[in-house]
Amino acid sequence: MTLLAFARGPAMQVATLVLIVGMFWRLSGILLLRRRVAHAAARNPFAVRLLGGAVTIVTRTIPRRTFWPRVGAGVALSYVFHIGLFIVLFGGAPHILVIYELFGVSWPDLPKGVVVVASGITLAALILLLVRRVTHPVLKMLSTPDDYISWVIVFLPVATGILLSGETIAGYGTLLALHILSIEALMIWLPFGKLMHVTLVFAGRFMLGHNFSRKGAAT
Amino acid sequence: MTAGDENLGEMLARRGFGRRGLLKFAFAMTASLALPPALAAAMAENLAAAKRQSVIWLSFQECTGCLETLLRTDSPTIAGLIFDFISLDYQEALMAASGSAAELTLRQAVAANKGKFLLAIDGSVPVADGGVYSLTGGKSNVSMLEEIAPDAAAILAIGTCAAYGGIPKAYPNPTGAVGVEDVITDKPIVNIPGCPPIPEVLSGVLVYFVSFGRLPDLDERKRPLAYFGTTIHDQCYRRPYYDQGKFAKSFDDEGARQGWCLFELGCKGPTTHNACASLKWNDGTSFPIESGHGCLGCSEPDFWDQEGGFYTSLAGGAGPGWRESGIAAAVGIAGGAAAAFAARRKTPEAQE
Amino acid sequence: MTDVVKAMRGFIADIGPNVALSLESCVHCGQCAEACQFYVQTGDPRYTPIHKVELFKQTYHREMGPFSFAYKFFGFAPALTAETLTNWQDLVYDSCNMCGRCSLICPMGIDIADLVEQTRHGMYEAGLAPADFLGAIAEKEHGTGSPFGLTSEKFRDLLHEIGTAHNVVMHVDEPAAEIVPTVSSIDVKTYPGSMAAIAKILNHIGLSWSFRTDGFDADNVSLTAGDRAGQSAITESIVKAAISCGAKILVMPECGHSFTEMRWEAANAYGKDLPFRVLQITELVAENIESGKIRVNKAPHAATYHDACQLSRRGGATEAPRIILHALGVDLHELEDAGDANWCCGGGGGVALIKRAQPLRDAAFAIKKKQIEATATPIVYTSCSGCRQTLDHGGKAASWTTTVGSLMELVADNLAS
Repeated sequence: MTLLAFARGPAMQVATLVLIVGMFWRLSGILLLRRRVAHAAARNPFAVRLLGGAVTIVTRTIPRRTFWPRVGAGVALSYVFHIGLFIVLFGGAPHILVIYELFGVSWPDLPKGVVVVASGITLAALILLLVRRVTHPVLKMLSTPDDYISWVIVFLPVATGILLSGETIAGYGTLLALHILSIEALMIWLPFGKLMHVTLVFAGRFMLGHNFSRKGAAT
Repeated sequence: MTAGDENLGEMLARRGFGRRGLLKFAFAMTASLALPPALAAAMAENLAAAKRQSVIWLSFQECTGCLETLLRTDSPTIAGLIFDFISLDYQEALMAASGSAAELTLRQAVAANKGKFLLAIDGSVPVADGGVYSLTGGKSNVSMLEEIAPDAAAILAIGTCAAYGGIPKAYPNPTGAVGVEDVITDKPIVNIPGCPPIPEVLSGVLVYFVSFGRLPDLDERKRPLAYFGTTIHDQCYRRPYYDQGKFAKSFDDEGARQGWCLFELGCKGPTTHNACASLKWNDGTSFPIESGHGCLGCSEPDFWDQEGGFYTSLAGGAGPGWRESGIAAAVGIAGGAAAAFAARRKTPEAQE
Repeated sequence: MTDVVKAMRGFIADIGPNVALSLESCVHCGQCAEACQFYVQTGDPRYTPIHKVELFKQTYHREMGPFSFAYKFFGFAPALTAETLTNWQDLVYDSCNMCGRCSLICPMGIDIADLVEQTRHGMYEAGLAPADFLGAIAEKEHGTGSPFGLTSEKFRDLLHEIGTAHNVVMHVDEPAAEIVPTVSSIDVKTYPGSMAAIAKILNHIGLSWSFRTDGFDADNVSLTAGDRAGQSAITESIVKAAISCGAKILVMPECGHSFTEMRWEAANAYGKDLPFRVLQITELVAENIESGKIRVNKAPHAATYHDACQLSRRGGATEAPRIILHALGVDLHELEDAGDANWCCGGGGGVALIKRAQPLRDAAFAIKKKQIEATATPIVYTSCSGCRQTLDHGGKAASWTTTVGSLMELVADNLAS
């Protein structure tokens, strides 16, 4: 079996199943713990609280103006990375094709040049984020192996994707295999490390928004 | 039948091709074989002096498509004449003899050309259940191969079946089909894959062998680098559309009619090594992509079993289906619930 | 003596889906540090808010998480030791006001301030609440319900003294009353004028009201110490007292955490929704100003206002003081970041009571000083005696000319007759 056949075949089966099992396990393990009922009278009715939760998902994307001087640069760099990745993932023709072949939905792709530039910016931002993490005193102290493993596991798909798109260094089949394998590594790691924030960010913001709306407190 | 005394130069002269024609042919051949043009003169000389090359052709578990392709060359090109020049001393489909007369022919051909003949194989070699799934005169392919291969100068595995197992090897491979290289490991083998292979590729290999007395340079899959060193993608005339992101989304849509890239319709060009995009088929008439269908990857091993089939693009894989995914989700919830309920037992009933 | 097992048990007793989600979500972005007065002023990364709850988080992963078996088996999270618990004491107590600025900034929606409060439960049970002052006060509270050991009798006497000194009618231990006010021990000790002001305001409103000496001190230092049992005991005695005189409204004094506790936590101790409304005094006053039951004279003068974190950002009562100031005609010069995003005075959450935390409080106060002075007003009002005391102490050390005033005393001084 070639490396590519392995990547598209058994490895994809295993990675997807591990991703699904892991995500559902972790989420249900959290949400099924013993719940504490809040008995105090809420300031706002249920509908307002639900809306508060939903709105908080959106509003927490941008820090409050008062915090901008201290966190603005770091947040901006992180968004450059995330938005760049979003452009590549959802604007790049081969990724739209994957989604179409899986789910039957598609949309127009962005011009290849735009995606290439976005991928380069994404890579640069990712590297700068690592530099920041190892030099900033707070981040250096907080960081665990999870942070660095997660960085490598995100770096590899971006880097192999760029090589594949440029069809450089190795044959197309090899590059494609490496790109798919690196994504499978990401899928396998995702439920267990900080990459799970792709789901937890929604759950956490909603929960805080709901709880604070209950108190009429600022979200 | 043994190789005659007439050399190739004399035979060609008889048919009306002089030294000049042979030299022109040699130049074309060196280009096709990606050899330096300086070798053309040497090739022409060697060809002129070449004696008839004995070829013994064994057909195993095949559909006869490879043989048909090779015979269907239209015009009497020199390539075609070279086929005439080889002494095809044994070939079951073509020869007049059959039955025990055929077996005698084979034994005599092997004996007379021991150590010098080229053994051409088409079709896969079934090895399951003692090789019973493909027999000739009661003898299994695998035993014939093991008996005759030691006396060959080299083996040409013609077509993807002979090279890598081909369609019989597709899941679940009930006959235990394998390529020749999985049975014979101590003889030089040239794989000439393709389903079928391009005729000019075979003639190019023969010309090289007859000219220089050895096999051309091969890649790690034993394919002649001259023809299999690049992918369809590297030579495809639709490559600019790929680079511009212009893809046909379905057969006969606007993009398809404009001749746009067929990547999204499952074309395996980027991972398929062959000369289809440059040499093309039927003496350079066309090739699948030019006719509007994506490359199937037929010169690569296991192309019948590739993930998702012919119409799933290289970007897509299959992965587990919805049912398996649903089961996985249920397993995840069960595991998480078990962990949560084990944890619950650690927290007191009433919390302030 | 540090009891590691008790610490572990104390930590996990609090863990439900809310806490679990919070402990799972941190992506180590470091933004919470930039919101915390203690990190911002000292530059010491140890004061990063989420780092303060690291032991709580590790215990969760080992004992309660979805993959706890793996964490334990492979040692992905270390077990608690007496040494690490002790090393964390100043992070959990000295350097956290539970002010909630970190909870406001966290992009993952983690209520870090709440996690610190939860962490204190385990620390307390391990015997690691700071011994000086804080622990002692919590112990006094066990006996009498008051952190200064004030008994019911002494409190009754004190109330009558205040009534006499300030010329205000006091109602004490009435069998029935629509409004039951409570006090903060800081008011008892340092700012009795605030108690007198509240009594005056309640008289002005005209509804029946009464202090209850069987449930009066809402300071609840047990809460900030992490003593769950003590916290509940205080809360329950106040609830009982209010119920026994059929109160419609329980009024919380000029104090931060007491409001958070009674408004949002008391019902949980009680087991169901309370049979009365819980209002902080500013909420009661604002409500009655708007309905016309309280009439005030104008007292125009320039001033600024310091929000108590537990009332505004954490409690949802940000507007009330502004309604009051507006009604009084005060020329309000708002602080930078006033309201929900305000900086903590540095004394909240029990930090004011920890002697060795003085340098940290000073560092936090430096922010407030700068902000208040930037408004160029002579007086800063607040409606929390904890803040008032912290600002007073800080101001004294800095030889300040700015006056710190109680909002309720301002109202009481300007009630229309």
